[in-house]
Amino acid sequence: MAQHIELPQGTLDLLILRTLALGRQHGWAISERVQQMSSDVLRIQQGSLYPALHRLERRGLITAHWGTSENNRRAKYYELSKSGHQQLEVEKDAWAKLTVAVAQVLGTA
Amino acid sequence: MLSDLIFRLRSLFQRSAVEDELDDELKFHLEQQVEKHVRAGLTQEEAMRQTRLEFGSLGRVKEDCRESRGITFLATTAQDIRYALRQLRRAPGFTITVLLTLALGIGANAAIFTLVNAVLLKKLPVADPGSLVRLGDNNDCCQGSGLRRNGDYAMFSTDAYEQLKKNLPEFEELAAMQAGFGGRPIIARRDGSQMESRSVMGEFVSGNYFSTFGLQPWAGRLLMEADNTKGAPMAAVMSYEEWQRNFSGDASVVGSTFWINTKPVTIVGIAPEGFYGDRLSTAPPEFYLPIEAMPVLANVQYVHNPNQNWLYIIGRIKTSVALAPLQTKVTALLRQVLATTNVFSSQEGKTRLEKVHVVLTPGSAGIQSMQEGYASHLNLLMCIASLVLLIACANIANLLLVRGMARRAEISMRVALGAMRGRIIRQLLTESILLAGMGGIVGLVVAYAGARMLLMLAFPGAQNIPIHASPSISVLAFACGLSLLTGLLFGVAPAWIAAQAGPVDALRNSARNTTAGAPLLQRSLVVLQVGLSLVLLVGAGLFLQSLRKLESKDLKLGATNRYIVHISPQAAGYSQTKLEALYQTMENRFHALPGVMKVGIASYTPMENNNNGWDVQVQGRPFLPAMTSIIRANAEYFDSVGTRVVMGRGIDIRDTSTATPVAVVNQAFVKKLFDPGENPIGHHIGSAGKNSPGDFEIVGVVEDTAYTDARWKDHIMYFVPAMQRSISTKLPIERDEELYLGALVIETDRPFNNMEKLARTTLAGINPNLTVTKFQTFEDQIADRFSADRLISRLSTLFGALALLLSTVGLYGVTAYTVERRTPEIGIRMALGAERTEVVGLVMRGAMIQMCVGLAIGIPVALLSVRFVRSQLYEITSANFNVMTGAILILTLATFVAGIIPARRAASIDPVRALRAD
Repeated sequence: MAQHIELPQGTLDLLILRTLALGRQHGWAISERVQQMSSDVLRIQQGSLYPALHRLERRGLITAHWGTSENNRRAKYYELSKSGHQQLEVEKDAWAKLTVAVAQVLGTA
Repeated sequence: MLSDLIFRLRSLFQRSAVEDELDDELKFHLEQQVEKHVRAGLTQEEAMRQTRLEFGSLGRVKEDCRESRGITFLATTAQDIRYALRQLRRAPGFTITVLLTLALGIGANAAIFTLVNAVLLKKLPVADPGSLVRLGDNNDCCQGSGLRRNGDYAMFSTDAYEQLKKNLPEFEELAAMQAGFGGRPIIARRDGSQMESRSVMGEFVSGNYFSTFGLQPWAGRLLMEADNTKGAPMAAVMSYEEWQRNFSGDASVVGSTFWINTKPVTIVGIAPEGFYGDRLSTAPPEFYLPIEAMPVLANVQYVHNPNQNWLYIIGRIKTSVALAPLQTKVTALLRQVLATTNVFSSQEGKTRLEKVHVVLTPGSAGIQSMQEGYASHLNLLMCIASLVLLIACANIANLLLVRGMARRAEISMRVALGAMRGRIIRQLLTESILLAGMGGIVGLVVAYAGARMLLMLAFPGAQNIPIHASPSISVLAFACGLSLLTGLLFGVAPAWIAAQAGPVDALRNSARNTTAGAPLLQRSLVVLQVGLSLVLLVGAGLFLQSLRKLESKDLKLGATNRYIVHISPQAAGYSQTKLEALYQTMENRFHALPGVMKVGIASYTPMENNNNGWDVQVQGRPFLPAMTSIIRANAEYFDSVGTRVVMGRGIDIRDTSTATPVAVVNQAFVKKLFDPGENPIGHHIGSAGKNSPGDFEIVGVVEDTAYTDARWKDHIMYFVPAMQRSISTKLPIERDEELYLGALVIETDRPFNNMEKLARTTLAGINPNLTVTKFQTFEDQIADRFSADRLISRLSTLFGALALLLSTVGLYGVTAYTVERRTPEIGIRMALGAERTEVVGLVMRGAMIQMCVGLAIGIPVALLSVRFVRSQLYEITSANFNVMTGAILILTLATFVAGIIPARRAASIDPVRALRAD
């Protein structure tokens, strides 16, 4: 099993937005997807996923609808809204700048 | 933003639906996760365990989600309020005590503040009151000449006003107004009206009076400069209130003719609603008239006498004018004007002129004579009320503390079950603030009723007073702020202490570990209450004693079956030469009424709120600076007011205008101006100067009947016959205003209920314009002079009683709590053979010790506080033995009552049950 890294603060929102950019998903699938995409390195603290989702929903960046899951169960699906797309671009940009800057400071760039 | 709001509102109002959704969502997640683990090869049981571990506390996650959704604050507050209400309902005794305590504490404060707001902080209802500046810093009244108050000028002559107005471009407008309109009512009747002439207030003002205040007429127009010129058609402005009250807002009043002091005057307009003139007063002007109309209407000559000061001046200052240089300029200008008058033209006058100065003061509240009179009383009442509030707060803190302790077990249990401390504190705070809020609302009701009561007590019989009992916005804010602050204050300590409780405490029996009784904080609060109560009780006792002393003082007069009728022959149009005949007619007509024994006529009567003062000199003796009151009176006057002649004779019917001028002096006069044992009869007196001391020959001495103020001591007076004038006077009789006498004293052989009506008809029979300006029994007139003292005494007694009540409740609460806590201990003591009386003694001792400590603090504080109220007491300089003992006895009694109930309960404890309960 690969070693897990705790998520730096504030990155959870970015990851959720990025995951949802691929299409609508329910909460469990989001956590699975993040893990998959990061080759099992990142693991979302499951307890903090849902508060984050509700917060994003309140901010209007994602919308929620009840739908049916692959195994025919009722599940709450989240989808990126228009402002969510914009926000994702902004945050991606900021993240890129941040990583470059941090790398520079650490002298690895 | 909108979506956010809708989102939150949905969270709030569809709470259960939102909660269900949250449950479903999380359940789905957990099931998916379990399935995933099962697929990976775990057993169902292991998969569930693993999932729970990964997910953490479900409750915690839900709480976080709720918080993210933004429902927490509002929802938990609503929840807290519901919970708090339930808790308060469960303890009605506690709730009612707290609410009553708060309501009385806040109510008393808000009532006093309403009054303070209405009297002391009220600004004139005019445009931009902030830019008004008054010339002068005292409220001397009503007219006079010469140097007063060491040259500090606040009253000016017409001439001085006109010069100042001309030479002060720093003011946009400079207005002048009659200083003493209150003592000079006018008689008014609408032309063609069937109503009889009425005596009303009329103020003579400069033509720019209304424009200075920036006022717009309600109807018609206001006074203008053109109205205030000699020979201009006589114009007047009526107050809105008078227009509504007596003319029902009849539009035809504007432009109609009124007979004012028997002369025709046109009403040109109605002043704006709510405008009560340039000063707060119990009888604001009903008519505003131009200064130039005064010589004609009021038959007074001082209007154009440059030596006579009778006007106050208020101006609207231009922006960015500095006050200090302006004040210097005003003083210089005034000296320049005064230098030309004959009062200051002598050599002595020139040195006195150097002392003349004017102090500029803010004019936003107008002339503050009423404020001046009430400030010390109101400030004292505010102090007393805030002490009561302090006691109330201590009481509530105590009650909440006791309650917090009693709920300690419950709170500890909640802490043990995982409730967050912050959440518990918040919940307890909600309860306190809720209580405070409810107390504030009840307090407002108390405040409203209390303010009405205060107004009635403070201004008895005043109908037109522009002071209202309805609490204003600022009073509302004050009450709410006060109640919130109180809530936070008494909420924090008990909440904090209660939340300190460790979970372990919950599992242990808390009754066992503190046998010492109530904690220090609680006992300190009770001690504080006792101390403050003592201070208030001593204060109440002193004011009561002061009032008793005043009221029981021998005023050296007779008031039974006497009636005082005030009239104004001047306003009724009598010239001075007709007065002797008028006085004779009045005497005859009143004597013709059956039951009338004496008819006195005088310029002023004993214990009236006005008098006429002058300096005096005995012929052939050096001048001693002493103000004396001079009363003009007819032959029966001394008998009618019950003043006894102790030497020589009083004024009698021989003393007509043509007889040799005589004077009767009082005993204080003899004591002050003559050597001991010297016979004053035969000496001559008069005003200070070269010839005037020879004016009147002393023919008798009367005792020192109290005039104006019962507190005055050794006030020197002399009395001269109604129509006799100084020998040395050069003033023609047509200009001698002193001959107008304003008071009739009717003495009857039995009480007359209809004397007012009788007096009115009798006077109207002589002349319809001879209206009664004021009617009172002599007893009422005297009682009026004590109304301020009575108000203070009553209120301090009321507040003292309130403080006592609150402290007793506090003492009872703590003692009862102690007994409850010590039940097991007392049970053991009794099981070991303690007598019931010993148990009672044990409990009572605790209460008494607290009281004694309270007294030990309160007594020195009370002794110190007396010096702050000394000026408001009559002949009392320190907290004397009687008052102190009385206050201590009352407190001891209260402590006994507060202690005996829990003590008896303690004594009736069944040892077996007490031990078993543990």
